[in-house]
Formats: sequence, structure tokens, C-alpha cells
Amino acid sequence: MPESLVQFAGVTRRFGDLIAVNNASLDIRAGEVLAILGENGAGKSTLMKMLYGLYPASEGQILLDGAPAKISGPADAMRNGIGMVFQHFSLLPALSVRDNLLLSWPKTPFWKSHRNARTDDVLTSLAELAPQIDPERIVSSLSVGEQQLVELCKVLNINARLVILDEPTSVLTPAEATRLHGFIKQLAGRGVAVALITHKLADVEACADRIVVMRRGSVVDIAERGARSMAETVALMMGQSVDRTLRPPPAFGRTVPRLVLENVSAQRPDMSLQGISLSIAAGEIVGVAGVAGNGQALLAEAVAGVEPLTAGDILLDGVSIARHTPFEAVSTPLGYIPEQPRDNGVVATMSLARNLALRDLAQGKRATGRHANLLERFNVNPPDPAKLAGTLSGGNVQKLVIARELGIQRDAILACYPTMGLDLAAIEMVYAAMFAQAASGAAVLWISEDLDDLLAGSHRIAVMREGRLVALLDNDGTLSREAVGALMTGMTETEAAA
Amino acid sequence: MSVEMIAILASWGIATLRSATPLIFATLGETLVQRVGIINLGTEGEMLLGACVGFAVGVATGNPWLGLMAGALAGAVLSLLHAGLVLGAGANQIGSGLAVWMIALGATSYFGRALVGQQVTPLPSLGSDWSDGIPLVGTILSQMTMAAPMALAAVVFAAWWLNQTRPGLHWKAVGESALIAAENGIRPIRVRVTAIMVGGLLAGLGGAILSVDYTQTWAQEMTKGRGLVAVGLVIVARWKPALVLPVCLLFGLTEVATLRLQSAGFELSPHLLGTAPYLVVLLVLVGSHVVARRASAMPADLKAVFQ
Repeated sequence: MPESLVQFAGVTRRFGDLIAVNNASLDIRAGEVLAILGENGAGKSTLMKMLYGLYPASEGQILLDGAPAKISGPADAMRNGIGMVFQHFSLLPALSVRDNLLLSWPKTPFWKSHRNARTDDVLTSLAELAPQIDPERIVSSLSVGEQQLVELCKVLNINARLVILDEPTSVLTPAEATRLHGFIKQLAGRGVAVALITHKLADVEACADRIVVMRRGSVVDIAERGARSMAETVALMMGQSVDRTLRPPPAFGRTVPRLVLENVSAQRPDMSLQGISLSIAAGEIVGVAGVAGNGQALLAEAVAGVEPLTAGDILLDGVSIARHTPFEAVSTPLGYIPEQPRDNGVVATMSLARNLALRDLAQGKRATGRHANLLERFNVNPPDPAKLAGTLSGGNVQKLVIARELGIQRDAILACYPTMGLDLAAIEMVYAAMFAQAASGAAVLWISEDLDDLLAGSHRIAVMREGRLVALLDNDGTLSREAVGALMTGMTETEAAA
Repeated sequence: MSVEMIAILASWGIATLRSATPLIFATLGETLVQRVGIINLGTEGEMLLGACVGFAVGVATGNPWLGLMAGALAGAVLSLLHAGLVLGAGANQIGSGLAVWMIALGATSYFGRALVGQQVTPLPSLGSDWSDGIPLVGTILSQMTMAAPMALAAVVFAAWWLNQTRPGLHWKAVGESALIAAENGIRPIRVRVTAIMVGGLLAGLGGAILSVDYTQTWAQEMTKGRGLVAVGLVIVARWKPALVLPVCLLFGLTEVATLRLQSAGFELSPHLLGTAPYLVVLLVLVGSHVVARRASAMPADLKAVFQ
């Protein structure tokens, strides 16, 4: 049994009422790659940020080399040889690679010229890790993958014994990700412990020695590499079936296509949608399943008219509602619950009443009082129309957006993670409102990470992977979460059935 | 080339250098301030106060060096007001800079009345008995004071400081992102206060050179917008200390040219002719933007001031 470098003993972290990490215990050993796998909001980043000194633990203890760690900030963590690479880089794009490395290097001399031999050491790790990067290049001219390598060099320059990588492959192309997997194994080979926070099974498969699965703040499983099948891991990630009485309204007997996606394609630097075709009938609920980061967010923004299409069209009752050029102004007729509603769904500096009347305001109409009862109906707390949206808690912002979008009857609904951050009572309320819309004839496109809820509440399930629609399944009660999970991870339908 | 030609060129060169010297100090100071992500329109006021205090001290003590030092200090002290308003009270940088300018304008107009018509001991010329014997060099040296060489040295030092030293790197980092700089253990407020004071010091010195060395008189509003021109020239010099020198020399050359055209009896309104330096600099600015279109050299945190 190898020595533990870091040990978490029953660590809990609360943010107000929210329990981000619940009684987590695990250890990190020198020279191993430990993958911490979980969906968004599972608590994996919070757990590692506690180790890095960004948050203190509410309960429990973190041991470093067997003794209680005294880490009260990133500076302490670095002094103890713990480095972390975040999703958002801390490089200065206008400066050269060398200057960026010198900036965080504790041994930078006063005279930092190239001619000063005492500055040579700062480039050693760069030369090992990425000899193709010229240290004189300006960081903004590097690719995202190269910038990440520079970030990694910054961490290695502090003689890190433990490197924490937060979702490192989410910004990388597949080729860059493969190369990063190689670097990670190389680091582990040198005796450095690597904690890899990820929700991608590809990362786990490529380089993890041990796999920790987190779900809703708890560590649900720790296993050696190869001890679990992919489908088992996904099932653990997504959670055991919980008994929830979700019953969607019966599908209409005659199917009238209402919301039609024809060969929808869109492009973003890190993701592309490739020819998604889907027809949703009046009163039908289609759930979109997929591991996070497989194009669901782009699909939602394309359907909502936020992101322009590169090809294809989106029709609502036969009329195109898609944005085709970036210069077109599209006001979506859909009831649209966006991802991260605080950033994408409300104007923080406007009152609740004005936020409920945003579409009226956009058309130059005055905000009327007719939305006032929505706040009570959807339990927005406090139900004060004059309050600024920015003062609400995350869950209440979510409810505010849902009140606006589901408060009146819509022709079609696009809901992205509509229950994220809500308590059980609120979740029931959201689903009831969504199903009522469908019962009255709305076509519903519902993106969720909760496979159980999708299986319980949708008529058909579309599975997305790498920007494509890989399967469209009738949810006739015979679908199993394992089968859908397998499709999400890239097996074909027949393989999954086997 | 005839000897006469060389003599004329040398005379133009010296006139250009002397006319540009106050501007070089002010522009250099403002460049450093903007590199840490702060814009200081108070440069005009700091120059004016430097000119006034420098002249007053020069007259009172009879020592021009003491005058220059006093002027520089006055500029630095006034710049602390800008630092306090912007960094301490969170005031708008443009508004704060204008306030500093107006305060200096009012104060120097009021207290400077006693200085009008006074005589100041000038800086000694660089010429000496033995150099007078050398043709051309002797003439050049005899028309120059230490002010211009000091400006050249300041430019070289600032460029070296910013690009070759660790504190210089910290200054640049603060200008790009105070947040990331702080994450790397740098104290952005301390860096910014220091840079603003250095900027004020250089602007005050530039003003004092203007009154004590260049014109050797005091007149109300004698900087005539040079401090504001300095703020603009920073953009032309693309926030690089080394480019401050050619840009300021170009401005000085056009200024000298218009003055000499006027005295040569050139038929154009002196007011219109007076705009020539600004037009030339504007053309250079447009030209440099067209050439270097893809990359703006503006420090990232400075952009936030205008958003």
C-alpha cells in the first residue's frame, strides 16, 4: 500500500443551506493519477479547492503527509507543493510566455534579462513539457492547449508534489487532450500525484489509476482502474434510481409536428453540432440525454436563436425561428429556460416585475402588473416585484425564469436543466408546470443530466454525443438507464443491448 | 554637404530637442502611469504646477537645479491627489484627472501673478572653454543644457526598467490585470500609487524645465495643453517608453518648423499654423494603427476605464 500524500477525513463543506461536499473521505497517493469523476455540481471542484486553500472545510479534516494540513490560502498550498490549474487560466495574454512564467516564479531575480543566467531555470519545465513553445511568444498567440501547458509549467515551477487539474480537457481539441493525457502519465511517472477533476469518461479511461465517483456532494465510489465497467461508472455518476412519481401527460393520439429541427448545424470554437434532425409533436416531451459537454448547450442556444446556424433550419408550426447570421435579431417565441439563468436569463439590475416583462420591454411596451401573481404561483422568495433580480438566491433566480417562461401557455418549450439548484418541492412544481404545458399542446425539448428524471418524464429520449444525435429512443417503459448510459458513452445500440 | 547645411541642420536639431524635452518627460511619465492601467489627465496640471513652483523656487534661491527639483516634487505631490481620488475613493479616472488639472490651473494663475516678469538664473550651458575650440560641436554644446541629456537618459532608464527588471514586469502585469497580478502576490494598489507618483514627478520636472530652462519666464497657462498632448502621444508611442523619444521629437520638430515658417514670413494664420504639430501626430497615429491593426498595445486594465 503506497503512502498517502493527502487524506480527506469526513470533509464537509456548506455554502449557506447548500451542502456542496458531504462527509467525503479519500486519499491521494504520490505518483498516481486520481480521477475525480462526477456531473456538474457534484462537489468535485469544491473538494479540491478546499485542499488548495480557497475554502475552509466546514467539518472534517484534511491531512497532508499524515499531519493536519494548515493551508489557509493558495500561497500556503503552493508552499506545500500543491498546485492547481483552473478552467480559467491565470495567464496575462499580452505578455510573453517567459514573462508569465517569471511572474509566478518565487526565485525571479531583480534583473530578469535573458542574459542573467539566474533566470534560466524558469524555462526548464517548459523545455521538458513543451519544447515546441518558444518562450518569447506572446501568450495570446498560443492555442488554448499550449496555454494550458504554460499554466502547467507555472505549477511545476513551484516544485509541485500534487497537481490538481480542474476539467483540463474541456477546452481542448481531441488531439490536444490526448497529448495532455500523455503529460499527465509522464508526471505521475516522475512521482508527482495528479488529481484530475473531470466529467469526461475519456479522460478517466486514458490515464486514471484510481477513480473516485462523486454525486450530489458525496463520494459514492472509489475503485482501481479496470474494476468497473464504463456503464457501471456512468450509473454511479448519474445516481441510483430514486423513486419519484413523475408522470408525463399521455402523448396525443395524432401526431402533429410542431417544433421541427432540420439538419441543424452550428459551430463554436470548442464544439460543433452536426446535422441534428428531430421532430417534436404537439404535446410531446423529448428529453435530451448526454454526458455534459457533448453539445447540449450549443443545441439549446441554436434552438433559442442565440447562436446562428451554419446549416439547416428550425421551424415552429412551419415558420423558421432560427438565427442564420450573427447580425439577425431573433426574439424567440419559445418558453426558454437557459442554462445558468443568473447569467443568461435575468437582468440582475432590474426589478423582478421588469424581469418578468422582459419580452414586453424589448418590444417597447411598458411593464404591466399582470405578471405579479406569477411570483406567488412559482414560489419566488421574496415575492416582491420591486426587488432587484440580482439580490435573489440561485434557486430563486431559477424559479423567476421558470415563472416567466412557463407562466403563460407557449407553443413550444426549451428547458435546459430546469431543476438545477432547486429543492424537491420546487422540482415537483417545475415538472408539473412543464407537463401542463405539454398537456395543452406545447412541444417540449428538455435537456437534463438527470437520467432518471428523463426516463420517468419524457415520451422519447434523444441521446447526444460529440455534437451528434446518436440515438432517438421511444420511452415505452422498456428502456433501462444502463442502455441509455451506454449510448451516452459511445457504444452502439446493439453493443449496449448485449 | 556644405558646412553651412550641417550648421543649419544642427541648429534645427537642437531647437527640436530643446522644444521636445519638457514633453518627453511628461509623455514618459504618462506612459508609465498608463502601463499600470491608470489614465491621468492631471498631467497638464502637474506640469503647470511644476512650472510654477520650479520657477518660483529658482527665482527665490537663484539656483535652477533647486527649481527643477522643487517642480518635480510639486508634480509628484499633486499626483497623489489623483491617486487618492481614483484608488482611495474609487472616483472616475477621467473626472479625477480633470479636477487635478483645474485645481492646478486655478492655483498657479492665482499664486503665479507675482512671478510674471521675474528673471530666473538659467541652467549652465554644456559648452566649455576647450569645447568651444571644436567647430560645430562647440556651437551645439554651447546651445544645450543638461535638460535634454537628462530626458534621453530617462527614456533609456524607463525602457530598461519596464522590460528588463522584475519590478517592471510587476508594473506591466498590474496594467494587464490587477486581479491576476494580485494572485501572483503583487500588490496592485501599491504599484499603481508608485507609478502615479513617478508620472507626477516626471510631469512636474517637465513643467519646471519648460519655465526654468526653455522659456526662462513664467506666464499663466504657459504649458498650453502640453500635458494633454502627452496623454495623446502615449497612444502614438503605443505605450512603449522607447517610442516616446521619436514621437516627441517629431512633435517638437513640427513645432520648430511652424515657428520658423512664421518668422520667415510664411503667409498663413499663425493659429492655423499652430495646429500643424497636432495634425502631423494625428496622421502618425492613424498610420500606426493601420500598420499595426491586428494588435492593440493598450494595457488590458486600461481599457476598462473606457467601458
